[in-house]
Amino acid sequence: MSSQRVPSSRRVPGGHRRAVVTGIGVVAPNGIGADAFWKATREGVAVLDRVSREGCEDLPLRVAGEVRGFDAQEAVETRFTVQTDRFTHFAMAAADLALADARLDTTGGSPFDLGVVTAAGSGGGEFGQRELQQLWGKGPRFVGPYQSIAWFYAASTGQISIRGGFKGPCGVLADDEAGGLDAIAHARRGIRRGARAMVVGAAEAPLAPYSAVCQLGYQELSRSADPARAYLPFTADACGFAPAEGGGMLVLEEESAARERGIEPRALIAGHAATFTGTDGWQRSREGLAHAARAALQEADCVPEEIDAVFADALGVPEADRAEALALADVLGPRISLVPVTAPKTGIGRTYCGGPVLDVATAVLAMESGVVPPTPNVVDVSHDLDLVTRTARLAELRTVLVLSRGLMGCNAALVLRRGGGTDRP
Amino acid sequence: MNQVLTFDELAALMQSCAGVAVDSRELENRPAATFEEFGLDSLGLLGVVAALENRHGAPIGPGAESCRTPHEFVALANNRLTTGV
Repeated sequence: MSSQRVPSSRRVPGGHRRAVVTGIGVVAPNGIGADAFWKATREGVAVLDRVSREGCEDLPLRVAGEVRGFDAQEAVETRFTVQTDRFTHFAMAAADLALADARLDTTGGSPFDLGVVTAAGSGGGEFGQRELQQLWGKGPRFVGPYQSIAWFYAASTGQISIRGGFKGPCGVLADDEAGGLDAIAHARRGIRRGARAMVVGAAEAPLAPYSAVCQLGYQELSRSADPARAYLPFTADACGFAPAEGGGMLVLEEESAARERGIEPRALIAGHAATFTGTDGWQRSREGLAHAARAALQEADCVPEEIDAVFADALGVPEADRAEALALADVLGPRISLVPVTAPKTGIGRTYCGGPVLDVATAVLAMESGVVPPTPNVVDVSHDLDLVTRTARLAELRTVLVLSRGLMGCNAALVLRRGGGTDRP
Repeated sequence: MNQVLTFDELAALMQSCAGVAVDSRELENRPAATFEEFGLDSLGLLGVVAALENRHGAPIGPGAESCRTPHEFVALANNRLTTGV
Protein backbone atom coordinates (compact mmCIF):
# COMPACT_ATOMS: atom_id res chain seq x y z
CA MET A 1 0.00 0.00 0.00
CA SER A 2 1.39 3.38 -0.86
CA SER A 3 0.17 6.84 -0.13
CA GLN A 4 0.82 9.84 -2.29
CA ARG A 5 2.60 12.48 -0.24
CA VAL A 6 0.77 15.76 -0.55
CA PRO A 7 2.97 18.83 -0.16
CA SER A 8 1.62 20.68 2.84
CA SER A 9 1.50 23.96 0.90
CA ARG A 10 -1.28 22.44 -1.20
CA ARG A 11 -3.38 21.93 1.88
CA VAL A 12 -3.42 25.60 2.80
CA PRO A 13 -6.18 27.72 1.24
CA GLY A 14 -4.54 29.48 -1.68
CA GLY A 15 -1.40 27.40 -1.04
CA HIS A 16 -0.96 26.82 -4.75
CA ARG A 17 -0.17 30.54 -5.01
CA ARG A 18 3.49 30.57 -4.02
CA ALA A 19 5.17 33.67 -2.62
CA VAL A 20 8.66 34.34 -3.92
CA VAL A 21 11.18 37.06 -3.17
CA THR A 22 11.87 39.31 -6.16
CA GLY A 23 13.28 42.44 -4.55
CA ILE A 24 15.51 43.33 -1.60
CA GLY A 25 15.84 46.79 -0.03
CA VAL A 26 18.22 47.35 2.85
CA VAL A 27 19.05 50.29 5.09
CA ALA A 28 21.52 48.76 7.52
CA PRO A 29 24.44 49.95 9.65
CA ASN A 30 26.87 48.18 7.29
CA GLY A 31 25.34 49.36 4.04
CA ILE A 32 22.44 50.99 2.24
CA GLY A 33 21.17 49.01 -0.72
CA ALA A 34 21.45 45.25 -1.18
CA ASP A 35 24.81 45.42 -2.98
CA ALA A 36 26.66 47.43 -0.33
CA PHE A 37 24.99 45.43 2.44
CA TRP A 38 25.91 42.07 0.91
CA LYS A 39 29.51 43.07 0.22
CA ALA A 40 30.03 44.14 3.85
CA THR A 41 28.13 41.12 5.19
CA ARG A 42 30.01 38.61 3.05
CA GLU A 43 33.31 40.09 4.15
CA GLY A 44 32.29 40.06 7.79
CA VAL A 45 32.79 43.79 8.28
CA ALA A 46 31.95 44.76 11.86
CA VAL A 47 30.49 48.24 12.20
CA LEU A 48 29.33 48.17 15.82
CA ASP A 49 30.62 51.33 17.46
CA ARG A 50 30.15 53.69 20.37
CA VAL A 51 26.72 55.30 20.30
CA SER A 52 27.08 58.81 18.91
CA ARG A 53 23.50 59.97 18.42
CA GLU A 54 22.61 63.22 20.17
CA GLY A 55 21.46 62.78 23.74
CA CYS A 56 22.60 59.16 23.91
CA GLU A 57 26.30 59.73 24.59
CA ASP A 58 26.16 59.35 28.37
CA LEU A 59 23.74 56.44 28.69
CA PRO A 60 24.79 52.99 30.00
CA LEU A 61 24.04 51.70 26.49
CA ARG A 62 27.41 52.32 24.91
CA VAL A 63 27.69 50.19 21.77
CA ALA A 64 25.18 49.90 18.93
CA GLY A 65 24.87 49.72 15.17
CA GLU A 66 24.07 53.18 13.78
CA VAL A 67 23.06 53.82 10.18
CA ARG A 68 25.48 56.69 9.65
CA GLY A 69 25.32 57.02 5.89
CA PHE A 70 21.59 57.71 5.80
CA ASP A 71 20.34 61.16 4.74
CA ALA A 72 16.58 61.34 5.30
CA GLN A 73 16.31 64.57 3.27
CA GLU A 74 17.76 62.73 0.32
CA ALA A 75 15.83 59.50 0.85
CA VAL A 76 12.29 60.83 1.25
CA GLU A 77 10.36 64.01 0.47
CA THR A 78 10.53 66.87 2.99
CA ARG A 79 6.97 66.38 4.17
CA PHE A 80 7.89 62.91 5.39
CA THR A 81 10.91 64.16 7.31
CA VAL A 82 8.56 66.59 9.10
CA GLN A 83 5.54 64.30 9.47
CA THR A 84 7.15 60.93 10.27
CA ASP A 85 9.79 59.37 12.51
CA ARG A 86 13.21 58.06 11.59
CA PHE A 87 11.95 54.45 11.67
CA THR A 88 9.51 55.34 8.89
CA HIS A 89 12.20 57.16 6.89
CA PHE A 90 14.24 53.94 7.00
CA ALA A 91 11.24 51.81 6.00
CA MET A 92 10.20 54.10 3.13
CA ALA A 93 13.75 54.23 1.79
CA ALA A 94 14.07 50.44 2.06
CA ALA A 95 10.71 49.96 0.32
CA ASP A 96 11.85 52.18 -2.56
CA LEU A 97 15.06 50.17 -2.85
CA ALA A 98 13.17 46.86 -2.80
CA LEU A 99 10.68 47.97 -5.47
CA ALA A 100 13.51 49.23 -7.68
CA ASP A 101 15.43 46.00 -7.11
CA ALA A 102 12.35 44.01 -8.16
CA ARG A 103 11.86 46.29 -11.19
CA LEU A 104 8.18 46.15 -10.28
CA ASP A 105 5.91 48.57 -12.10
CA THR A 106 3.39 49.51 -9.44
CA THR A 107 1.44 51.93 -11.63
CA GLY A 108 0.02 49.34 -14.01
CA GLY A 109 -2.65 46.89 -12.89
CA SER A 110 -5.03 47.18 -9.99
CA PRO A 111 -3.85 48.99 -6.85
CA PHE A 112 -5.85 46.42 -4.87
CA ASP A 113 -3.35 43.73 -5.93
CA LEU A 114 -0.52 45.38 -4.00
CA GLY A 115 -0.21 45.38 -0.21
CA VAL A 116 2.18 46.31 2.57
CA VAL A 117 3.07 44.55 5.83
CA THR A 118 5.57 45.77 8.39
CA ALA A 119 6.50 44.68 11.88
CA ALA A 120 7.45 47.17 14.57
CA GLY A 121 8.80 46.74 18.06
CA SER A 122 8.69 50.29 19.30
CA GLY A 123 7.28 52.78 16.79
CA GLY A 124 8.62 56.30 16.45
CA GLY A 125 10.38 57.01 19.73
CA GLU A 126 12.40 60.01 18.63
CA PHE A 127 9.37 61.83 17.21
CA GLY A 128 7.33 60.89 20.26
CA GLN A 129 9.95 62.18 22.66
CA ARG A 130 10.11 65.55 20.91
CA GLU A 131 6.35 66.01 21.08
CA LEU A 132 6.09 64.80 24.69
CA GLN A 133 8.75 67.33 25.63
CA GLN A 134 6.55 69.99 24.02
CA LEU A 135 3.60 68.69 26.03
CA TRP A 136 5.31 68.89 29.42
CA GLY A 137 7.48 71.91 28.57
CA LYS A 138 4.90 74.19 26.95
CA GLY A 139 1.49 72.55 27.02
CA PRO A 140 -0.90 70.51 24.91
CA ARG A 141 -1.37 73.26 22.29
CA PHE A 142 2.31 72.87 21.35
CA VAL A 143 2.07 69.17 20.47
CA GLY A 144 2.07 68.80 16.70
CA PRO A 145 -0.87 66.93 15.18
CA TYR A 146 1.42 64.51 13.31
CA GLN A 147 2.24 62.98 16.70
CA SER A 148 -1.09 61.20 16.26
CA ILE A 149 0.30 59.10 13.42
CA ALA A 150 4.10 59.36 13.48
CA TRP A 151 4.93 57.32 16.57
CA PHE A 152 2.38 54.58 15.92
CA TYR A 153 3.65 51.10 15.17
CA ALA A 154 1.51 51.30 12.04
CA ALA A 155 3.14 54.46 10.66
CA SER A 156 5.48 52.80 8.17
CA THR A 157 2.87 50.54 6.61
CA GLY A 158 0.52 53.53 6.33
CA GLN A 159 3.02 55.87 4.73
CA ILE A 160 4.41 53.27 2.29
CA SER A 161 0.94 52.21 1.18
CA ILE A 162 -0.41 55.76 0.79
CA ARG A 163 2.68 57.05 -0.98
CA GLY A 164 2.76 54.10 -3.38
CA GLY A 165 -1.00 53.91 -3.84
CA PHE A 166 -1.01 50.28 -2.66
CA LYS A 167 -4.60 49.52 -1.68
CA GLY A 168 -4.37 45.74 -1.27
CA PRO A 169 -4.01 43.84 2.01
CA CYS A 170 -2.07 45.94 4.50
CA GLY A 171 -1.07 45.07 8.02
CA VAL A 172 1.21 45.79 10.94
CA LEU A 173 2.59 43.41 13.51
CA ALA A 174 3.31 45.16 16.80
CA ASP A 175 5.72 42.54 17.95
CA ASP A 176 9.11 41.63 19.33
CA GLU A 177 12.05 40.65 17.10
CA ALA A 178 10.39 37.48 15.77
CA GLY A 179 7.76 39.76 14.21
CA GLY A 180 10.14 40.33 11.30
CA LEU A 181 9.64 36.72 10.21
CA ASP A 182 5.97 36.70 11.12
CA ALA A 183 5.42 39.76 8.89
CA ILE A 184 6.84 37.83 5.94
CA ALA A 185 4.45 34.97 6.68
CA HIS A 186 1.61 37.47 6.93
CA ALA A 187 2.52 38.95 3.54
CA ARG A 188 2.62 35.45 2.09
CA ARG A 189 -0.94 35.06 3.32
CA GLY A 190 -1.78 38.19 1.33
CA ILE A 191 -0.34 36.56 -1.80
CA ARG A 192 -2.31 33.36 -1.14
CA ARG A 193 -5.48 35.36 -0.81
CA GLY A 194 -4.98 37.00 -4.17
CA ALA A 195 -2.46 39.84 -3.94
CA ARG A 196 -0.02 40.05 -6.85
CA ALA A 197 2.80 41.56 -4.81
CA MET A 198 3.49 42.57 -1.24
CA VAL A 199 6.04 44.99 0.18
CA VAL A 200 7.08 43.50 3.50
CA GLY A 201 9.68 43.97 6.19
CA ALA A 202 10.64 46.06 9.17
CA ALA A 203 12.84 48.96 10.12
CA GLU A 204 13.42 50.38 13.57
CA ALA A 205 15.04 53.50 15.03
CA PRO A 206 15.75 52.68 18.68
CA LEU A 207 18.80 54.92 19.04
CA ALA A 208 17.30 58.08 20.49
CA PRO A 209 17.35 59.09 24.18
CA TYR A 210 13.83 58.04 25.17
CA SER A 211 14.00 54.81 23.16
CA ALA A 212 17.43 53.97 24.52
CA VAL A 213 16.28 54.52 28.11
CA CYS A 214 13.35 52.16 27.49
CA GLN A 215 15.82 49.46 26.47
CA LEU A 216 17.91 49.85 29.61
CA GLY A 217 15.30 47.72 31.35
CA TYR A 218 16.29 44.72 29.23
CA GLN A 219 18.63 42.44 31.16
CA GLU A 220 19.79 41.09 27.81
CA LEU A 221 21.14 44.46 26.64
CA SER A 222 24.92 44.57 26.49
CA ARG A 223 26.49 47.26 28.69
CA SER A 224 29.95 46.70 27.21
CA ALA A 225 31.82 49.75 25.97
CA ASP A 226 34.04 47.74 23.65
CA PRO A 227 32.57 47.47 20.13
CA ALA A 228 34.55 44.29 19.42
CA ARG A 229 33.32 42.54 22.56
CA ALA A 230 29.83 43.91 23.18
CA TYR A 231 27.95 41.22 21.25
CA LEU A 232 29.59 37.78 21.24
CA PRO A 233 26.91 35.08 21.05
CA PHE A 234 27.87 31.42 21.39
CA THR A 235 31.10 32.31 23.20
CA ALA A 236 32.19 32.15 26.83
CA ASP A 237 32.30 35.97 26.73
CA ALA A 238 28.66 36.43 25.75
CA CYS A 239 27.40 39.48 27.64
CA GLY A 240 24.14 40.38 25.92
CA PHE A 241 23.29 41.97 22.61
CA ALA A 242 24.06 45.30 20.99
CA PRO A 243 21.00 47.00 19.48
CA ALA A 244 20.93 48.57 16.04
CA GLU A 245 18.82 50.81 13.86
CA GLY A 246 17.69 50.31 10.27
CA GLY A 247 16.14 47.28 8.64
CA GLY A 248 14.99 45.86 5.38
CA MET A 249 12.01 45.54 3.07
CA LEU A 250 11.36 42.80 0.54
CA VAL A 251 9.10 42.50 -2.46
CA LEU A 252 7.20 39.22 -2.38
CA GLU A 253 5.37 38.23 -5.52
CA GLU A 254 3.06 35.50 -6.58
CA GLU A 255 5.41 33.22 -8.50
CA SER A 256 3.56 33.06 -11.81
CA ALA A 257 3.02 36.86 -11.82
CA ALA A 258 6.76 37.33 -11.43
CA ARG A 259 7.56 34.85 -14.21
CA GLU A 260 4.98 36.43 -16.51
CA ARG A 261 6.85 39.72 -16.36
CA GLY A 262 10.12 37.93 -17.02
CA ILE A 263 11.45 37.98 -13.47
CA GLU A 264 13.02 34.83 -12.05
CA PRO A 265 12.11 34.12 -8.44
CA ARG A 266 15.07 34.64 -6.13
CA ALA A 267 13.77 32.57 -3.23
CA LEU A 268 10.61 30.78 -2.24
CA ILE A 269 9.04 31.44 1.15
CA ALA A 270 8.60 27.73 1.75
CA GLY A 271 7.63 27.43 5.39
CA HIS A 272 7.01 29.44 8.54
CA ALA A 273 5.88 28.80 12.07
CA ALA A 274 5.77 30.80 15.28
CA THR A 275 5.57 29.83 18.94
CA PHE A 276 5.44 31.66 22.25
CA THR A 277 7.35 30.57 25.34
CA GLY A 278 7.04 33.63 27.55
CA THR A 279 9.61 35.54 29.50
CA ASP A 280 10.30 33.20 32.41
CA GLY A 281 13.79 32.28 31.33
CA TRP A 282 15.53 31.63 28.04
CA GLN A 283 15.82 27.86 28.52
CA ARG A 284 12.18 27.57 27.47
CA SER A 285 13.02 28.98 24.05
CA ARG A 286 14.74 25.65 23.26
CA GLU A 287 11.36 23.99 22.94
CA GLY A 288 9.82 27.06 21.31
CA LEU A 289 12.49 27.36 18.62
CA ALA A 290 12.58 23.62 17.95
CA HIS A 291 8.82 23.43 17.62
CA ALA A 292 8.73 26.46 15.30
CA ALA A 293 11.56 25.05 13.17
CA ARG A 294 9.94 21.63 12.86
CA ALA A 295 6.58 23.12 11.92
CA ALA A 296 8.19 25.43 9.36
CA LEU A 297 10.08 22.46 7.85
CA GLN A 298 6.89 20.45 7.74
CA GLU A 299 5.05 23.22 5.95
CA ALA A 300 7.95 23.48 3.50
CA ASP A 301 7.73 19.74 2.91
CA CYS A 302 11.36 19.67 3.90
CA VAL A 303 13.34 17.11 5.86
CA PRO A 304 16.14 18.28 8.20
CA GLU A 305 18.70 16.67 5.85
CA GLU A 306 17.86 19.30 3.25
CA ILE A 307 18.88 22.25 5.44
CA ASP A 308 22.12 23.63 3.99
CA ALA A 309 22.65 26.50 6.45
CA VAL A 310 21.09 28.09 9.51
CA PHE A 311 20.83 31.80 10.28
CA ALA A 312 20.73 31.78 14.06
CA ASP A 313 18.96 34.18 16.37
CA ALA A 314 22.17 34.44 18.42
CA LEU A 315 20.98 36.57 21.30
CA GLY A 316 24.32 36.65 23.07
CA VAL A 317 22.95 35.66 26.48
CA PRO A 318 24.57 32.39 27.69
CA GLU A 319 21.32 30.71 28.67
CA ALA A 320 19.64 31.76 25.41
CA ASP A 321 22.61 30.69 23.28
CA ARG A 322 22.59 27.29 24.97
CA ALA A 323 18.85 26.95 24.36
CA GLU A 324 19.27 27.78 20.67
CA ALA A 325 22.19 25.38 20.19
CA LEU A 326 20.16 22.61 21.84
CA ALA A 327 17.09 23.46 19.76
CA LEU A 328 19.16 23.10 16.59
CA ALA A 329 20.48 19.76 17.81
CA ASP A 330 16.91 18.69 18.55
CA VAL A 331 15.83 19.56 15.01
CA LEU A 332 18.88 18.56 12.99
CA GLY A 333 19.96 15.54 15.03
CA PRO A 334 23.49 14.25 14.30
CA ARG A 335 23.61 16.50 11.23
CA ILE A 336 24.14 19.48 13.54
CA SER A 337 27.91 19.03 13.13
CA LEU A 338 27.62 19.25 9.33
CA VAL A 339 25.34 22.27 8.90
CA PRO A 340 26.98 25.68 8.84
CA VAL A 341 25.38 28.11 11.26
CA THR A 342 25.92 31.86 11.02
CA ALA A 343 24.89 35.08 12.72
CA PRO A 344 25.99 38.02 10.56
CA LYS A 345 24.10 40.35 12.90
CA THR A 346 27.06 40.32 15.32
CA GLY A 347 28.68 42.82 12.97
CA ILE A 348 25.79 45.30 12.96
CA GLY A 349 23.72 44.58 16.08
CA ARG A 350 20.09 43.59 16.46
CA THR A 351 17.66 45.98 14.87
CA TYR A 352 14.69 44.43 16.66
CA CYS A 353 11.96 43.48 14.12
CA GLY A 354 14.32 44.52 11.33
CA GLY A 355 16.94 41.98 12.42
CA PRO A 356 15.37 38.80 11.07
CA VAL A 357 14.32 40.63 7.89
CA LEU A 358 17.98 41.46 7.31
CA ASP A 359 18.76 37.79 7.97
CA VAL A 360 16.24 36.77 5.30
CA ALA A 361 17.74 39.29 2.87
CA THR A 362 21.19 37.89 3.66
CA ALA A 363 19.95 34.32 3.25
CA VAL A 364 18.59 35.07 -0.23
CA LEU A 365 21.84 36.77 -1.26
CA ALA A 366 23.84 33.91 0.28
CA MET A 367 21.89 31.28 -1.69
CA GLU A 368 22.45 33.26 -4.90
CA SER A 369 26.19 33.51 -4.26
CA GLY A 370 26.78 30.07 -2.75
CA VAL A 371 28.44 31.71 0.22
CA VAL A 372 27.69 31.54 3.94
CA PRO A 373 28.78 34.89 5.42
CA PRO A 374 30.67 34.85 8.72
CA THR A 375 29.77 35.88 12.26
CA PRO A 376 31.89 39.02 12.83
CA ASN A 377 33.89 39.42 16.06
CA VAL A 378 33.09 35.86 17.19
CA VAL A 379 36.13 33.59 17.36
CA ASP A 380 36.02 30.91 20.05
CA VAL A 381 32.69 29.12 19.89
CA SER A 382 31.72 27.46 23.15
CA HIS A 383 28.75 25.47 21.86
CA ASP A 384 28.45 22.37 19.76
CA LEU A 385 27.76 24.25 16.51
CA ASP A 386 29.60 24.66 13.24
CA LEU A 387 29.46 28.45 13.49
CA VAL A 388 30.97 30.20 10.48
CA THR A 389 33.58 32.57 11.89
CA ARG A 390 36.31 34.85 10.53
CA THR A 391 35.68 34.41 6.80
CA ALA A 392 32.79 33.41 4.55
CA ARG A 393 32.45 29.79 3.54
CA LEU A 394 31.60 28.50 0.08
CA ALA A 395 28.63 26.16 0.10
CA GLU A 396 25.86 25.03 -2.20
CA LEU A 397 22.77 26.54 -0.57
CA ARG A 398 19.40 25.31 -1.77
CA THR A 399 17.48 25.52 1.48
CA VAL A 400 18.14 27.65 4.55
CA LEU A 401 16.51 27.97 7.93
CA VAL A 402 16.22 31.40 9.60
CA LEU A 403 15.49 31.56 13.34
CA SER A 404 14.39 34.49 15.44
CA ARG A 405 13.46 35.11 19.05
CA GLY A 406 12.07 38.18 20.72
CA LEU A 407 12.60 39.63 24.16
CA MET A 408 8.89 39.27 24.89
CA GLY A 409 8.87 35.50 24.34
CA CYS A 410 8.05 34.97 20.65
CA ASN A 411 9.96 32.44 18.55
CA ALA A 412 9.77 32.08 14.79
CA ALA A 413 11.31 30.02 12.03
CA LEU A 414 11.32 30.56 8.29
CA VAL A 415 12.42 28.12 5.58
CA LEU A 416 13.64 29.59 2.30
CA ARG A 417 14.32 27.69 -0.92
CA ARG A 418 16.61 29.03 -3.63
CA GLY A 419 14.97 30.37 -6.78
CA GLY A 420 11.49 28.98 -7.24
CA GLY A 421 12.28 26.10 -4.90
CA THR A 422 12.36 23.48 -7.63
CA ASP A 423 16.08 22.59 -7.70
CA ARG A 424 15.84 20.21 -4.79
CA PRO A 425 18.34 17.38 -4.43
CA MET B 1 -7.62 96.17 8.15
CA ASN B 2 -4.52 95.08 9.96
CA GLN B 3 -2.98 92.16 8.04
CA VAL B 4 -1.99 89.66 10.76
CA LEU B 5 -1.49 86.70 8.46
CA THR B 6 0.10 87.16 5.03
CA PHE B 7 0.39 84.51 2.32
CA ASP B 8 4.15 84.55 2.88
CA GLU B 9 3.62 83.64 6.50
CA LEU B 10 1.09 80.95 5.64
CA ALA B 11 3.53 79.39 3.18
CA ALA B 12 6.24 79.42 5.87
CA LEU B 13 3.87 77.77 8.37
CA MET B 14 2.89 75.08 5.85
CA GLN B 15 6.60 74.37 5.44
CA SER B 16 7.50 74.29 9.13
CA CYS B 17 4.39 72.49 10.40
CA ALA B 18 3.90 69.93 7.65
CA GLY B 19 7.00 70.01 5.46
CA VAL B 20 4.91 71.15 2.49
CA ALA B 21 6.82 73.47 0.18
CA VAL B 22 4.62 76.03 -1.58
CA ASP B 23 5.21 79.32 -3.34
CA SER B 24 3.32 82.05 -1.47
CA ARG B 25 2.46 83.72 -4.81
CA GLU B 26 0.73 80.51 -5.86
CA LEU B 27 -1.32 80.63 -2.67
CA GLU B 28 -2.25 84.23 -3.35
CA ASN B 29 -2.92 84.00 -7.08
CA ARG B 30 -5.09 80.89 -7.03
CA PRO B 31 -8.01 81.83 -4.76
CA ALA B 32 -10.06 78.73 -5.64
CA ALA B 33 -7.24 76.22 -5.04
CA THR B 34 -7.63 74.07 -1.94
CA PHE B 35 -5.11 73.14 0.74
CA GLU B 36 -5.40 69.59 -0.53
CA GLU B 37 -4.26 70.70 -3.97
CA PHE B 38 -1.23 72.31 -2.36
CA GLY B 39 -0.44 69.03 -0.56
CA LEU B 40 -1.58 70.01 2.94
CA ASP B 41 -3.75 67.42 4.68
CA SER B 42 -6.14 68.04 7.57
CA LEU B 43 -3.49 67.26 10.19
CA GLY B 44 -1.22 69.79 8.55
CA LEU B 45 -3.89 72.48 8.75
CA LEU B 46 -4.45 71.64 12.42
CA GLY B 47 -0.75 72.22 12.98
CA VAL B 48 -0.85 75.57 11.16
CA VAL B 49 -3.83 76.72 13.25
CA ALA B 50 -2.13 75.70 16.51
CA ALA B 51 1.12 77.43 15.53
CA LEU B 52 -0.73 80.64 14.68
CA GLU B 53 -2.76 80.58 17.88
CA ASN B 54 0.36 79.94 19.95
CA ARG B 55 2.13 82.81 18.24
CA HIS B 56 -0.70 85.27 18.89
CA GLY B 57 -1.77 83.86 22.23
CA ALA B 58 -5.38 83.95 21.05
CA PRO B 59 -7.74 81.45 19.46
CA ILE B 60 -8.66 81.81 15.80
CA GLY B 61 -11.89 80.20 16.79
CA PRO B 62 -14.27 77.68 15.30
CA GLY B 63 -14.10 76.81 11.65
CA ALA B 64 -10.39 77.52 11.15
CA GLU B 65 -9.50 73.85 10.88
CA SER B 66 -12.19 73.22 8.30
CA CYS B 67 -11.25 75.99 5.85
CA ARG B 68 -10.84 74.46 2.43
CA THR B 69 -8.72 77.09 0.73
CA PRO B 70 -5.78 79.27 1.79
CA HIS B 71 -7.81 82.38 0.82
CA GLU B 72 -10.68 81.37 3.08
CA PHE B 73 -8.22 80.65 5.89
CA VAL B 74 -6.27 83.91 5.57
CA ALA B 75 -9.51 85.94 5.55
CA LEU B 76 -10.87 84.13 8.60
CA ALA B 77 -7.61 84.38 10.55
CA ASN B 78 -7.18 88.08 9.85
CA ASN B 79 -10.77 88.78 10.77
CA ARG B 80 -10.63 86.86 14.05
CA LEU B 81 -7.14 87.87 15.15
CA THR B 82 -7.74 91.59 14.48
CA THR B 83 -11.30 92.02 15.66
CA GLY B 84 -11.25 89.28 18.29
CA VAL B 85 -14.76 88.27 17.22
